[in-house]
Amino acid sequence: MTSNRVICVDIGSTYTKGAIFRLAEDRFVVEARAVTPTTVDYLPDGFFTVVQQLSPGADWHNLTAADAPCPVYFSSSAKGGLKVAVVGLVPEMSLQIARLAAFSAGARICASYPYRLTRSCISRIEKAQPDILLLCGGTDGGNERYVTENAQALAASGFNGTIVYAGNNAAVDRVSDLLADRELVICENLMPDFGRLNIEPVREAIRRVFLDRIVSGKGLDRLVAAFATQPVPTPLAVLNLVRVVGENIEGWQNFALIDMGGATTDFYSFADAYNPDSGTIMKGIVEPKLKRTVEGDLGMRVSAESTFETGEAYLAAVSDFSTEQLAALKNYVMGLTTNTGHLPANAIEKYYDSLLAGACIYHSLMRHAGSIEEVFTAKGRVWAQSGKDLRRVSRIVGTGGYLAAMAREGSAVAIPDRAVLPTEKTPLLPEKFVYLTDNDYILPLLGNLAEKFPRQCALTAVSSLTVTQHYEVKEPCQREFIKA
Amino acid sequence: MSATNIVLGVIGFDCHSVGNKILEAWFTESGFKVTNLGVMVSQEEFIAAAIETDAKAILVSSLYGHGEIDCAGLREKCIEKGLEDLLLYVGGNLVVGKTPFPQVEEKFLKMGYDRVFGPDCSLEKVSEMLKADIAAKAR
Ligand code: B12
Repeated sequence: MTSNRVICVDIGSTYTKGAIFRLAEDRFVVEARAVTPTTVDYLPDGFFTVVQQLSPGADWHNLTAADAPCPVYFSSSAKGGLKVAVVGLVPEMSLQIARLAAFSAGARICASYPYRLTRSCISRIEKAQPDILLLCGGTDGGNERYVTENAQALAASGFNGTIVYAGNNAAVDRVSDLLADRELVICENLMPDFGRLNIEPVREAIRRVFLDRIVSGKGLDRLVAAFATQPVPTPLAVLNLVRVVGENIEGWQNFALIDMGGATTDFYSFADAYNPDSGTIMKGIVEPKLKRTVEGDLGMRVSAESTFETGEAYLAAVSDFSTEQLAALKNYVMGLTTNTGHLPANAIEKYYDSLLAGACIYHSLMRHAGSIEEVFTAKGRVWAQSGKDLRRVSRIVGTGGYLAAMAREGSAVAIPDRAVLPTEKTPLLPEKFVYLTDNDYILPLLGNLAEKFPRQCALTAVSSLTVTQHYEVKEPCQREFIKA
Repeated sequence: MSATNIVLGVIGFDCHSVGNKILEAWFTESGFKVTNLGVMVSQEEFIAAAIETDAKAILVSSLYGHGEIDCAGLREKCIEKGLEDLLLYVGGNLVVGKTPFPQVEEKFLKMGYDRVFGPDCSLEKVSEMLKADIAAKAR
C-alpha cells in the first residue's frame, strides 16, 4: 500500500528536515514535511522525531528495513560536514584537480597546499584536523619526489585522519611504507597523464571514507544498520541532483545552482567547460562538466563577517552607501556572527541581507567561473581561456533558506553579469538566463533520490522551482566568435 | 625501467602543428614517454608539465619567427622552479630571415638552451644526442 512512498531526511548542522514523497507516474509528490532541531549529541534522536512525524503509523524506533512501511534515504552535513585538506604539486594542475575532486565528493576544503609541505603547513593541518587529507601530485611515472617528501612530513606529523593517496602510481610503495601506521587509502592517480582528469576513483574513495569514518561515532551507524541505506554528505546529494537534471531534462544542459547558507556558499554548474569552436584557446585543464565549488568565507550568518571583509569593495560599489551607512551595515553584520539565528526585522535589515546575499553570489560566481584574456600575436588577437566558461548557462537556481525566503518575499537578488570590480581578465559569466528559486527548499531532500530514481527526481526538481527573475546582459561578451 | 619522460610543444602563439605531430610520433617510437602540449604553449605550461611528469627534457619548437622573444627566460624560470638539471632543446625556424645558423645557435645557447636545431636537422641524431645527454646528467 505504501510501497510507492519514500522518506528522505537531511541531518543538517542545525535542523533535521524530512519529507515523505509519493511516486505519482513520472514524478514525486510531497505528502508531508517535518523539521526538528538536530540532536547534535546523538543524531538518530532528531532523525526518529522527523520520521515518526512523517509516518506516525509505525514504531520507527524498533523497526528494521524489512518491516519499515517505506524506504528511507538520508544525507548529513552535521558537525560541519566532511572536512578535507588537499596537498598537490603544481597549483593549476594536480592541486586544482584535487580541489575539484574533493568538492565533487561533497567535501569542504579546509586547507590546500602545492609543492612541498613546510612545517607551517603541517602545523596548520594539525590545527584544522581535517577528516581526510588528499595527497596527490605527479603523473603516473612522473614526479615522485614531492609526494614522497610530503608523505614523510605527514608521517612525522600529529595529523591522524585518513590519508587518501591519489598521486603518481610509481610512488605508491614508498608512500605506503612511509605512512604504514596511518589510515591510508590508495586510489588511482587523479591526473594519470598530464592534463587528463581522473576524478571518479578519488570521489569514490572519499565517499567510502565518509561512510567508514564519519558515519560511525555520530550515531549514524545505527541508522545505516536499521535501514540498510548509506547516507551521503548533503552537498553530494545536491550534486547528484544537479547531474540527473542535466542528464535527463531537455533544456537543462547548461545551468547553475547556488546553495547559500549561513556558513558557506556552494556553487554548482552543469555546463560544457570549453567550447573548442569558440576561437579561444585553452590554458590549463579543461574542467569537468559537473563542477562544485564551496566558499567557506561566504555565508549569511556564521560567515557574515568574512563575507563583509571579502565583499567590502563590492558592497561599497553596488550600494552607493556613505561611509556611515557602510559602518551601520558592518555593525549589523557583526551582530549576525554572534546571533546566527537572526531574521531581518525591518526593511533596512532586509536590504542588508540582500546586499550580503549579493556579495556571496558575486564572489562565489567569480571564483567558480573561468576567464578570458586578450593576447596579441603575429596573427592578430587571440583569446586565451582559463577555467570554466559559463556564458551559455541559461538557468540559475537559488536554494537554501535565505534565497528561498528572499524569493517568497519578492526581494530582488543581484546576480552579476560582469565584473563589478576591476579585474585583470574578463570573467566568463552567464549572459542570458532565468533565475529560479527553490521556494519550498526541497532540493537537498530530493537529491537523496537522484541515484535510485534519476529521471523522476530530475522532473520533480525542475517542476518544483519558481521563476523569479529574468536577466539579460546588455553587452554580451561575444568575444568567442572571433576566429583565431 | 620505465620510459623516460620528455615534454614537447610549440612555444608562444605559434600554431604550426605539423612538425609537432611528427616530433611526437618520432620520439614516442624512439622509446620516450612524450607529453605533447601541442601548439601555443606558454613557458609556464612547459614548466608545469615538466614538474608533474618529472621530465628529463623539454623540447621547444618555434616556427613562426618569434622564437627569440618567446624562448628567452625559460631557463631562468626552470631554475626558479627547481628544475636546474632539466635539459632544454629548441628547434624549428628560430629567427626571421636568413641569419646564418651558427649565429642563431649561439644566441639560443646563451639563453640557456642545451642544444639548438634548424628545420633540416636529422631526428635520428637528435634522439641519440638526447639519450646521451640524459645519461650524462644521470651520472
Ligand atoms: C603550413 C604553414 C603554415 C600554416 C600552418 C598550418 C598548421 N596547422 O600547421 C598556416 C597557414 C596556418 C601558417 C601560418 C603562418 N605562417 Co606559416 N608556414 C607553413 C609552412 C608552409 C609549412 C610548415 C610545415 O608544416 N612544415 C612541415 C613540418 C614537418 O616541418 P617543421 O614545422 O619545420 O618542423 C620540423 C623541423 O622544423 C623540426 N623541428 C621543429 N621544432 C623542433 C624542435 C626541436 C627540439 C627539434 C630537434 C626539431 C624541431 O622538426 C620538425 C619535424 O621534421 C612553412 C614554410 C615551410 N616550408 O616550412 C611556413 C612558415 C613556417 N610560416 C611562416 C609564417 C611567417 C607564418 C605566419 C606568421 C604568416 C602570417 N603572417 O600570417 C603565420 C603564423 C601563424 C601562427 N600564429 O603561428 C614562415 C616563418 C618565417 C620565419 N620563421 O622566419 C614560414 C617559414 C614561411 C616562410 N618562409 O616565410 N603557416
